[in-house]
Amino acid sequence: MQTGSRKREIEFDDVSKRFQLAEGLTLREFLPLFFKRKGFADAFYALRNVSFSIDAGEVVGIVGRNGSGKSTILKLIAGVTAPSEGEVHVMGRVSPLIELGAGFHPDLTGRENIQMNASILGMTARETRERFDDIVAFAELEEFVDTPVKRYSSGMYVRLGFSVAIHSNPEILLIDEVLSVGDAYFQEKCLVRMDEFKRSGVTIVVVSHSMELVTEFCDRVLLIEAGRITGEGAPSEMIEQYLSTAPHSVEMTPN
Amino acid sequence: MADFQIRTRHPLRHSFGLRDVAVYLGRFWQRRDLLLHMTVRHLRGQYKQSVLGYAWAVVNPLSQIIILSFVFSTILRIPAPEGTPYPLFMFVGLLPWIFFSSAISSATDSVVNASSLVTKVYFPREILPTAAVFTKLVELGFGLLILSVLMLYYGRLPETTSVWMPLLFSIHLIFTLGLSYPLAALNLYFHDVRFLVGVALLLWFYLTPIIYPVSLVPAKYEIIFDLNPNALFINAYRRVILYGESPGIEKVLLGLLIATATFAVGYYLFKKMERGFADRI
Repeated sequence: MQTGSRKREIEFDDVSKRFQLAEGLTLREFLPLFFKRKGFADAFYALRNVSFSIDAGEVVGIVGRNGSGKSTILKLIAGVTAPSEGEVHVMGRVSPLIELGAGFHPDLTGRENIQMNASILGMTARETRERFDDIVAFAELEEFVDTPVKRYSSGMYVRLGFSVAIHSNPEILLIDEVLSVGDAYFQEKCLVRMDEFKRSGVTIVVVSHSMELVTEFCDRVLLIEAGRITGEGAPSEMIEQYLSTAPHSVEMTPN
Repeated sequence: MADFQIRTRHPLRHSFGLRDVAVYLGRFWQRRDLLLHMTVRHLRGQYKQSVLGYAWAVVNPLSQIIILSFVFSTILRIPAPEGTPYPLFMFVGLLPWIFFSSAISSATDSVVNASSLVTKVYFPREILPTAAVFTKLVELGFGLLILSVLMLYYGRLPETTSVWMPLLFSIHLIFTLGLSYPLAALNLYFHDVRFLVGVALLLWFYLTPIIYPVSLVPAKYEIIFDLNPNALFINAYRRVILYGESPGIEKVLLGLLIATATFAVGYYLFKKMERGFADRI
């Protein structure tokens, strides 16, 4: 698993992910399909034979159009979903910044939700206690920490979720467009923190439509199209290739 | 304690054997913090929006004692074994039944209800049904208070054999958990499961000696009660609390065997189905 001095941290080995289009069947709908061995015909491949690896400390961007399979890759790394074929190896504590605050309970206070969310991300009670003040300070919610989060604005919600996630001491950080939420000031603050993570050697996987962010922030870019990896290399090259194959992407011009 | 780390292959693996089950149970144990948080969260969510709050945990069993005693003792004249007032006799069976049935129905919905979490971040999913079952322990605690008051009212002191209770209940709890896991998982695949569970629990209630003593059952039907773990546990509770008898070591061992087998199979099936959870929501 060693390549030179760097440890391989994420590895996709010929991974495919298939989704059944007919989901949420009732038993009445399922049984006939099951006995006729039908129903597996309308499967849809979100990923097909994807192989790549990411070393510890690398910052990798995944670029592709909507529905190309970017988020599926993040979900596979997070361990939320399983590959249909192939193998996914992930070595290290993953912190997904995917739709922050998903685990918040509206009736619980900010404090209680911090404890809860930290625990979901795998922090021990002691770690949470030690970092509690930092979490609240970064989210700038000192005054509202004992208010039920249903009284929070959507911005406060996102700030708190983000703050818990970045204080969970991640070895692998997954970022899915979250930097597009929150006000400009908070976005800037997040970018500064991302840069600190990058310098301290945290592995980061970024999914973003912001070509500017990808160019500036990433060491390497994976280009993905219709569930297949179509390119892998330096950010500027890959983005050029991406833009040349995506004719309708006027809004995605660099800068 | 060191940082919690996942140094392994993908948490949702293709196939696994018995040794992996031990690994999963170990990882589950590592996350007991989260289990506690989830349980507290359930409790808060359950009572926060209601005016009476935790008082509901008392009102529910109390109203059931009154109505069931009236119907089955006063109207239908079902006799309790000699020397035991019917309400007391019935409640010692009803209390664990309320725990069992409310735990099972709440656990069945637990994973479906947490869909926003399940699709975003990984944690051992069995924490969800386990927390749902543990939440009901609080109601059971309130129920035990009612039982104490009821015993005082009838001038009865608990028999010394009541020291069997923690052991008996632990076995009952393992059985309950073991049954809740596959139901919670199946409910994601087929939404019929929750309705099926509702019907099954209703039938199970009448086929368990809660409102009648097992001595009234004709001999040729006794097999039903020998095969019903809840009957086994409830009879044992009555023996140790009301009659001062030992539950019978062979009954305890039988209960333990059924409970561990149910847990092992249930947990295995749950982990097996866990792979597909996020894709089914």
